[in-house]
Amino acid sequence: MGIIKPDIKFKRELGRLSGSQLNQCMQCGNCSAVCSLAPAERPFPGKEMVWSGWGLKEKLIGNVDIWLCHQCGDCSSYCPRDVKPADVISAIRHQTYLHYARPRFLGKLVSSPAWLPVAIAIPVVVIMAILSLAGTFKIPEGPVDYSAFFPHGLLNSTFSAITLFFYLLASFGIVRFWKDMKRLTPPGEAGMKKFPIARVLGEILSHSNFSGCGSQQLRKIAHMSLFFGFGLLILVTLYAIWATITHNYPLPFTNPFKIAGNVASLMIYSGLGIMVFQRLMNRSVFGKSSYSDWLLLAAIGLLTLSGTLVELARFGNWSVAYHLYFFHLVAVWFVIMYLPFTKMGHIFYRTTALLYARSIGRK
Amino acid sequence: MMSAEKKHMALAICTGCDIGNCIDADKLTDAVREAFDGISCISHKSLCSEAGLEELRKFTREKGVDRLGVAACSPRVKTAEFSMDGIYVDRINLREQLAWVMEPGEEDTQMCAEDQTRMVLAKLDTIKENTPYLPEQVYSDVLVVGGGIAGVSAALEGAAAGYRVHLVEKSDRLGGYAGRIYKTPYNEIDLSARTSEVMSHPGVEVHLETSIESISGEPGNFFVAIRNSDSATLKVGSVVTATGWKPYDPDKLSALGYASPRVKTLEEFEQSVQVEQPPDRVLFVLCAGSRDENHLSYCSSYCCGAALKQALYIREKNPGAEVYIVYRDIRTAGFQEEFYKLVQADDAIFMTKGVIKSVSDLGNEVEVVVGESLLDEQITLVADLVVLATGMVPNTTSDLKLQYRLGEGLPELEYEFSDSHFICFPYETRRTGVYAAGTVRAPMDMEMSQEDGAGAMMKAIQCIECVKRGEAVHPRAGDMSYPELYMERCTDCKRCTEECPFGSYDETDKGTPLPNPARCRRCGICVGSCPERIISFSDFSINSVSAMIKAVHVPDEFKEKPRVLVFVCENDAYPALDAAGVHRLRYSPFVRIIPVRCLGSVNKVWISDALSHGYDGILQIGCKPGDDYQCHFIHGSELTEQRGENLQETLETMMLEPERIQTRFVEITDHHEIQEIINDYVEELELIGPNPFKDM
Repeated sequence: MGIIKPDIKFKRELGRLSGSQLNQCMQCGNCSAVCSLAPAERPFPGKEMVWSGWGLKEKLIGNVDIWLCHQCGDCSSYCPRDVKPADVISAIRHQTYLHYARPRFLGKLVSSPAWLPVAIAIPVVVIMAILSLAGTFKIPEGPVDYSAFFPHGLLNSTFSAITLFFYLLASFGIVRFWKDMKRLTPPGEAGMKKFPIARVLGEILSHSNFSGCGSQQLRKIAHMSLFFGFGLLILVTLYAIWATITHNYPLPFTNPFKIAGNVASLMIYSGLGIMVFQRLMNRSVFGKSSYSDWLLLAAIGLLTLSGTLVELARFGNWSVAYHLYFFHLVAVWFVIMYLPFTKMGHIFYRTTALLYARSIGRK
Repeated sequence: MMSAEKKHMALAICTGCDIGNCIDADKLTDAVREAFDGISCISHKSLCSEAGLEELRKFTREKGVDRLGVAACSPRVKTAEFSMDGIYVDRINLREQLAWVMEPGEEDTQMCAEDQTRMVLAKLDTIKENTPYLPEQVYSDVLVVGGGIAGVSAALEGAAAGYRVHLVEKSDRLGGYAGRIYKTPYNEIDLSARTSEVMSHPGVEVHLETSIESISGEPGNFFVAIRNSDSATLKVGSVVTATGWKPYDPDKLSALGYASPRVKTLEEFEQSVQVEQPPDRVLFVLCAGSRDENHLSYCSSYCCGAALKQALYIREKNPGAEVYIVYRDIRTAGFQEEFYKLVQADDAIFMTKGVIKSVSDLGNEVEVVVGESLLDEQITLVADLVVLATGMVPNTTSDLKLQYRLGEGLPELEYEFSDSHFICFPYETRRTGVYAAGTVRAPMDMEMSQEDGAGAMMKAIQCIECVKRGEAVHPRAGDMSYPELYMERCTDCKRCTEECPFGSYDETDKGTPLPNPARCRRCGICVGSCPERIISFSDFSINSVSAMIKAVHVPDEFKEKPRVLVFVCENDAYPALDAAGVHRLRYSPFVRIIPVRCLGSVNKVWISDALSHGYDGILQIGCKPGDDYQCHFIHGSELTEQRGENLQETLETMMLEPERIQTRFVEITDHHEIQEIINDYVEELELIGPNPFKDM
C-alpha cells in the first residue's frame, strides 16, 4: 500500500452509522478469531476495523470480505472493547450502495429520511401521470375491477422500462465494483476459476453461510422465508402480468398462482415478523438497526400488506379498493425500482462478491 | 575439658517432632556432661509447647542460665518462643538437619547429634559479651538530594514524620522534570501546591542552586559539605537521592530522522507546544530507541502516556489537525488505561502498530515508511512534524560526592540505574544509609515517583532509628554485633578495605583501615579476608568457629567414619538444607554443619584448623553468584571462588588432594539438590581416602 491518507469524514460516517467508537478498537483481532466465516488467510473483520479506524475508504469500498460476512454478530458480542464490528461492516456495505449508485442522487434519495418524501413522490407522480394519460380518474361503479380503472398495459410497460433503465445504470456500478475487488484482492498464483455460478447459487439457495454463522438458526429461517417468499411473489407477478395480456385477469382465488401468492405473503409476514422482533428485542446481538434497515423492512411489509388488502378488497368489493391498489403499486415500484440503491442491493452486490470470492478461492 | 561454671551455660533438648525417635536424648546429655563440666541439662517432649516453655523458663531462672543451647528444630522457626531476656540462645538443629534427614537409631546419627550439640555449646562457651556500636551522637536530620517530584515527596513525608529535612536542589527552582511539563491530565498530582508546601514547611530547609562538595561519615553521622553562595556543612543521619532522569540522547536516533528540524523529541515538543501552534499532521513514533537492543533495551513506562497526552495538546490547539501514532504496543499500565480510552475517543487520532522503516524530510513535509503495520505490510505516512517518544536514562549519582573508597556515586546496576541489588528491597542501595528514589533507580511515572519518594524516606528514617539502637539496618536487621578490629596486629594489607562490598572501611594514606561500623551490613566478609585474623564479631569470631571445629570428635579409623565439615551460608543455602529436611531427603550422617554469615566470611585458618583436626574434607555451600545477585552481600560467593583457587594451591603444597575442599552454590529453592551435593561429595571423598593428618 502506498501513501495512507486518512479520510476522517468517511471514518465519522461509519462511526455514526454503526454507533461504534471506532477508535476504541485496540486492534486485538478477537473479532477475526471468533468469526466462523472468516478465511484463515487475512481474516476479517479485524483488518477492516483497523482500516475503518483510519477512514481508508478506498480499501473498504470494493472489499470482497465485507460481503462474506453474514452479520451473525459474534464479533460484536465478543469484542472486549465494546466496539461493534458487525455494525461497522454493515455500515460499510451501506456505503458501498451509495458509492456505486449512478446517478448518485438515487442513492442519496433512499438513504436519508429527509429525502423520503421525494423518493415516494417519484412513483406517485409517474403513476398519476399514466392515469391521467389513460383518462381514468373517475372511480368506476359496480363490482371492483382494477383493470377498469388502471391501464395495466401502460403501467406495466412504463414500470418495466424505468426499472430496466435503473438496473442498467446499476450494472455499471457492479462492473466497477468487480474491478475494485480485483484490484484490492487480486487473485493468487492459482489465478481465477471460471465463474462458479452453480456453487454460489447453491450457497444462496441453501443459505449455507447462515449456518456457518454462530447458532442463529432463527435468522436463517427468517431470511429463507423472506427470500423464497419474495422469489415466489415475483413469479406470481410475472404470471399476473402475462395474464393481463392474455385477458385471463383477474385470477380467481382457486387459481394455483393466486394460492401460491398468498402462501408467499404468509412466508414474508413470518420472516418479517421474526426479523422485526429480533431487531427490537435483541439489540445486543443484532446491533444497531439503521434507517436503511428499517426502510427496507417497512417497504417490504407495506408492499405485502397492501397486496393482501387489494386482494381482499376485490372479493369484498370495498369502496377503498382502488385507493389500496394505488398504494400497492407505489410500494411495488418503490421496492423494485430502487432495489440496487437500497439494502436490497445486496442481492446484486453479495452475489457478485461471492462469485468473485469463490472464483479466486477465497472462502 | 572446658568449664561452664562462670557462664552458667545450659542445654535444653526437645524430643518432639521425631527427634526423640531418632536419637537417644539421655546418651546425648551424658556426652554433653562429659564435655562441659557442670552444664545444666533439661529435656522435654515438646519444648515449644506452653508447658515446655514454662518448664524451660523455670529451669533457666533457677539455674541462673545466661547462655542456652536449644537442641530442637531449625533456628529459622520458633525464634520468638526460644528468645529469652538476658540469655544468649543458640540453636542446635536436630530436626530439619538431623532427625528428618538421617537414619533413626543409628550410631552415626547419634554421633552427629552429639557433635553438632558440642559445636554449638563450644561456641556459646567462646563468644564474648556483646557491646553494641553506639556512636556518641546520632543525627536525625535527613538529606534529600534533588527537588523533583520524588525529592519533594520524600521531604514532605520526612517532615511529616517529625524529621528535619535538608532538600538540596542544584537548579534555582523545585519541581524537577515534572515542573517543566505543560499539562498533566492523567494524574492528580498538584506539583505546584506540593512545591510551595515544601518551601514553606518549617521542617524542611530548602537549599536551591546548591551543589554537594562531599558526603563523608556513616549512617547517623554523615557530614555533607554543600556550596551555594557560601559553604556550609550539614550533619545528617541518612540520605535520599532523587536526582531523576534525562531523555535518551536523540542524536543516536538518526535512523528515525532526528537530524531534521521537522523531527522532535517528546521533551522538545512539550516545550514548543506551549509557544507555537502545532501543524496539521503530526506523527508520533513510540518506543523511539526503547525496547531496542541497540539503544535502551527496557521500557521507560512513561512515554506512551506522554505521547497520548501530547496528541491531545495538538487536537486542542489545532482542532483541524490529525495525529498519527505508530506504536509497538501501547503500554498504559494501571489507571492510565482510562486515559488511553479518553484519547481514543478523539477520532482524529489514528493509531497503528508498526515498525519505522525510514523517516525522510522532503523539505516541506516528512515521509515516514512503516513496516509490519496493521494497515498493510508496508505503508507510507506523510506528516508535517514527527515526534519521537524517547525513553528515560538515569542521571548520574556521582554528584553525591560520597567519600567512599568505592567511588563518589552509587553503583550503577542493570541499565545504569542505581537500584538496590536483586536481593534487597526497593530504595536500598549498596551504600548503607543512602536510599534511591524515583527515576534515578528505575523508570517510572510521576505518581510512582511520588510514592517512591515517600518509601525511600521511610527507609531513611528506619536507618537512623536502627543506628540509634546500635542495630544493623538490613538485611541482618536488628543484628547488634559488628566487626571489631584488633589494630595492634594489623599489617595494612588492605584486604578488608578492598573486599568489603559496601565500602564500610575508609583507609589512611598508609592503607590502615578506618572502620565505619554504621555503614556495615554485618556480612563478615572482612572476617574471612583478614590474613592476620584480627577481625571478629562478638558472636562470630575466629575463635568461636575454631572452637566449633575442634568440638567434633574425629574417629581415627577413616573407613568407618569420615568427617566432613560443611560451611553453610545462612542466607539461602541454610534454608535450602532445612527444606531438604522438610522433604525428608536423606543425606550422609558424616557431615558437621557450621552456619556462616556469608561464604565470604570463611577464614582460611578454619580450613587449616579443620584439616589438622582430622576432618577428611570441607564442603562450602553458598548462594548463587551472578548477575541476578542471589548473594545477599553482592560478591561473597565470588570471593569464595577466588579464594578457593588460592586455597587449592596451598593444599597441593601440603601434599593434600585439592578435591578435599569443594564449593557449591544453590538458590534458596534448590532443596532437591542438597541430597545429591552432600552424598556425591562424601562418595568422592571415600575414593580419595582418609586425611593423612588424621592421626598426627
